[in-house]
Amino acid sequence: MEIDFSKLLLNYPYFIAMIIFCLGCLCTLTQHNLLKKVIGLNIMQSGIFLFYIAVGNIKGGIAPIYDPTLPEGTLYINPLPSTLILTGIVVGFSVTAFALALIVKLYNYYGTIYAPKIIRMR
Amino acid sequence: MYLWENMPFFLVIGSLIAAFVMAGFARWKKEWCPYLTIISVGFSFILSSILAYRVAGGEIINYYAGGWNPPWGIEMMIDELGAMMLLLMTGSFLLIAIYSIKSIPREIPPSVSGWYYSCFLLTLSAMMGMVATNDFFNLFVMVEVTGIGACGLVAAKGEKLSTEAALRYLILSSIGATFLLFAIGFIYQITGNLNMSYVAAELVQIKDQYPVIIWVTISFITIGLGLKAALFPLHIWLPDAHSSAPSASSAILSGLVVKVYIVSIMRLYFLVFGLDVFTGTYMRYLILIMASLAILMGSFFAFVQVNLKRRLAYSTVAQIGYIFLGFGLGTVWGITAAMLHIIIHAFMKVCLFLSAGAIYYQTGKKKVTQFTGLGYQMPVTMGAFTIASLSMIGIPLFGGFISKYGLALGSLEANNPYFIALIVLSGLLNAAYYLPMIWQAFFVSQPKSQPKAKLKLDAIPFSMLVPIMITAAGVIYMGVFPGGALAFLEKAVSRFLLL
Amino acid sequence: MDDYISKVVFRYVMLIVIIYGFYVILHGSTSPGGGFAGGSILAMGILIYFFVFGSHWRGKLREAPMSVGIGFLVLGATVEGMKFLIPHEHGPVGTPGTLFSGGLVSLANFCIGTLVTCAILSIIYLLVKED
Repeated sequence: MEIDFSKLLLNYPYFIAMIIFCLGCLCTLTQHNLLKKVIGLNIMQSGIFLFYIAVGNIKGGIAPIYDPTLPEGTLYINPLPSTLILTGIVVGFSVTAFALALIVKLYNYYGTIYAPKIIRMR
Repeated sequence: MYLWENMPFFLVIGSLIAAFVMAGFARWKKEWCPYLTIISVGFSFILSSILAYRVAGGEIINYYAGGWNPPWGIEMMIDELGAMMLLLMTGSFLLIAIYSIKSIPREIPPSVSGWYYSCFLLTLSAMMGMVATNDFFNLFVMVEVTGIGACGLVAAKGEKLSTEAALRYLILSSIGATFLLFAIGFIYQITGNLNMSYVAAELVQIKDQYPVIIWVTISFITIGLGLKAALFPLHIWLPDAHSSAPSASSAILSGLVVKVYIVSIMRLYFLVFGLDVFTGTYMRYLILIMASLAILMGSFFAFVQVNLKRRLAYSTVAQIGYIFLGFGLGTVWGITAAMLHIIIHAFMKVCLFLSAGAIYYQTGKKKVTQFTGLGYQMPVTMGAFTIASLSMIGIPLFGGFISKYGLALGSLEANNPYFIALIVLSGLLNAAYYLPMIWQAFFVSQPKSQPKAKLKLDAIPFSMLVPIMITAAGVIYMGVFPGGALAFLEKAVSRFLLL
Repeated sequence: MDDYISKVVFRYVMLIVIIYGFYVILHGSTSPGGGFAGGSILAMGILIYFFVFGSHWRGKLREAPMSVGIGFLVLGATVEGMKFLIPHEHGPVGTPGTLFSGGLVSLANFCIGTLVTCAILSIIYLLVKED
């Protein structure tokens, strides 16, 4: 299978989204600090948000607001991925809030948010 | 007939509204919460019974939210598998809600007992939505909400261990959901649709055009939903979360929550991608390998545990392996056995965890080495425990035998008889860790220093005894009369395999 | 945080942020933005007050956002649910630049905005509660 590199350069947002996603996944899985794990989760989600926005983008399109004064045949960007991402942001926000609440509780119990120390104290 | 037409919508949204109403009651009248929960879940149970009756009559229910037809609107579709899962979930939740009245105040601090029921209903509503939906993005949202509700159920105990387990569960399950979201993005990019039926129709035409993207998508779905369904190498969150939660929560998590993800995976593999893509991307063989490892390693890990609930949690890992093995085989009997095992395992695990909770309630015993003489102190509970354990081993006349027999038939159909050896070996391992408990409970005599034990009825409340008895009866019923469920599942399987 | 500069600066910045949050909520039905975005901005404005000028809000007032949030949740859910239950009901399209021309959508936006503000405030208050 041959890869056309000019197409890869043309679609650079997908590339960057994938890199951000992998970095976030690495951060979540390898960091020992619980707070950094949650931050890694957020970085992962940001990568996906970038991916969705890139999917919805159309070159030369304008913001999808209904306006009767615009001429016929005006190019709009696809609003559906943006809408989905709004939901994704809300879900990510609630997960983050829940995780932070649990971390505060763990800090009250153990006096640290460093995961190996917590495991040693158990 | 407004209610009749909008029944799937009311089913999901009724529990959701009840969850938030319960959040209000948790601040105002805490002691009403269990009874209001039972009313709400009972309403859902009645609705899903009606839906199951309609589906059994040969009707597949398509509901379009707001009257917007697909591909624009959100579609909810209830097929045979969905109706069966809805009935199973609402029924089990009803039993567990009845059990919770007396059990929950013993196990969680009184300040959060109202919030527990809020999480309970939130989980139920999101699970019903996940089973009923036919829309990819809706599926993602429901997956996340189920994850949050299940973490709330674990964290409700408020102890050190359960908080830690809940955090690990939350982080890992959101990683899984993130992978699922990425996969949905890929699907939307190549098909331009989010409705599952339309995506399936589109994928048939373009699957040769984008082999790499389909391969990436199906692996992301396997990682994402497999992480949540605790497929073997991804199971690391499960034992902590399921063993440190309150008993009623453990029954929900182990018996039902991991199953709805499996139902979603089955839907995506068979109805959206189709068996060709499932086999062609080698995902089927990966699933078979992981499931075999899950069956063996889960049983081995369960064998060395001392804590009863931890042993049951590892046993769940092994049983999930059976379900994955069944649909990984990709034959008629394999998929039928997988679906049947979802029902039967729900009955068995709910019964076992509720019995564990009842043992803790009466005697405060948590370890499997302390079972001596329990059969005389609580004969009904231990009787139910015995029935569920024997079913877990796979003795004929109990439910577990039927699904294992189906799996054996399925592996013969797939020309792969090695799996029969695996199933037999796993049955022996199950016997090795379940039978000693029963032996110790009934047949080992007390030390002579203690007064001789007399047979008397359990000293636990009636509302805790009834759910245990009903689930044990369900196990026997599924073992003796599996015909009704099999006939119901036959249509679902033929739809899955496009027969 | 006891800092003179931040107190002087944020005294004015906070007002702008809060007004902008209300703007986004109220114009959400006819322009980009809406309940969630505006509600987050509004909550951030209030949180700046909370962090810069110290936690003066104690006792029952701290519990208030959760109750108000639950109330608006029920109201917003009812309005949004009506859109789902009545076939093809989405209200008038509305003209950009006006406040309440969106009909049901404007009301739902307002409910969601208030709900999001209350939710974020109560989450932060729960997290910083000293006990």
